[in-house]
Amino acid sequence: MRLTRYALPLLAVLALGGCASLRPVPMPEQVPTEGETQVPVTFFPQEKYQCGPAALAMVLDWSGLEIEPADLTVSVYTPSRKGSLQPAMVTGARRRGRVAYPIHGLDALATELEAGHPVIVLQNLSLPIWPRWHYAVAVGLDPATDQVLLHSGLTPQRRMGLRTFMNTWRRGESWGLLVLPPDELPATADALDWVTAVSGVEDAGQARAALVGYRTALARWPDYVPAWMGLGNVRYGLGEPATAKAAYRQAVTLDPGYALGWNNLAQTLADLGEHQAALAAARRAVALGGPYRDEFELTLEEIEK
Amino acid sequence: MHANNKWYRQFCGALVAVFLWAAVPMPAAQASVVGTDASVQIAQHAQVKQRLHQLLARDDVRQQLIAYGIDPAEADARVDALTPAEAQRLAGRLDDLPAAGSDLIGALLFIFVLLLITDLLGLTDVYPFTR
Repeated sequence: MRLTRYALPLLAVLALGGCASLRPVPMPEQVPTEGETQVPVTFFPQEKYQCGPAALAMVLDWSGLEIEPADLTVSVYTPSRKGSLQPAMVTGARRRGRVAYPIHGLDALATELEAGHPVIVLQNLSLPIWPRWHYAVAVGLDPATDQVLLHSGLTPQRRMGLRTFMNTWRRGESWGLLVLPPDELPATADALDWVTAVSGVEDAGQARAALVGYRTALARWPDYVPAWMGLGNVRYGLGEPATAKAAYRQAVTLDPGYALGWNNLAQTLADLGEHQAALAAARRAVALGGPYRDEFELTLEEIEK
Repeated sequence: MHANNKWYRQFCGALVAVFLWAAVPMPAAQASVVGTDASVQIAQHAQVKQRLHQLLARDDVRQQLIAYGIDPAEADARVDALTPAEAQRLAGRLDDLPAAGSDLIGALLFIFVLLLITDLLGLTDVYPFTR
């Protein structure tokens, strides 16, 4: 045990010595050259092996929830692995009505920090052959000293050289996680990625949060059909067929070839007792077909009964 | 006895009501609205295919395809026929693609990725690991 403790850093140094990546990592262009970026995030020190719950608690607290790392241990920490898996971090956020939005790479990280969004980062502090995985929360960048500011382990605002940080982060495939309130888009937001992330919130049973997430998408991308579908589905699930109908109607108006939209519109119209219109919409879905054709035929059958 | 009987009838009435309620099929409506995850998957698949088509439409790629004896229209047709899983597999590699007109290393990488794509499409057979 002792041997590995001393041997590993030595190995690390040897391995890095032969590595071409010793050249400095340039600060991304989106970081202003003067003054450091720093997001105000309350620091929670981690218990042993509990970097996952601590990191998630910090960003959830930042997002406006009152939460402690201990509240998250059960849903995030896997005792047998002495750690927290990435999917558990993602679902841990969703189950509390927050949008978990993964990002990749330094440019995205810098853009988000610049926009005031803290980012959970997955680092491998050791080498790939003997991984030591660690979650920290990136809270800032300091271009003057080329450093990343991390709430990490027992240390708030730990300063790590950009090159070291990138080496540890790349071994985690430069995976970062934003945990945002559903009315706050990432600075790097992509319509499909956002709607995908919000549909995860919907699947976690957080219908009200998902509703806000889809509305937020539509405020930015008013013509984005999957966001209208999501809005319709949430409203339908909440027992509001009249408003669901309007959302589905919008989806098929924007894209008349959208079979899923016709199918869901058909079902909603049937629920509302608009039989003829429901029949027409269901037939349209079946005619368009696609990978969900079986479901569309089922809808049509039920309406024809 | 009389009071007891009344209680008994009420109890049975309640029991029947419960059974009747349980026997009523749950509204099938819930089952036949297709969920948002399906919308998202379809959108992802469409996006990946679009990227592949854009790639195949690039002049340098078309020239390469023709140089390899591949009809660009055929390549397009095969992209259309990819399943979501196959398309997704390709998409993972697309980010490595350099922009057009980059340096030599970029060009080498580009050819590597191009061949990988044509391999996956079954047009060439350069990399056995894609099988």
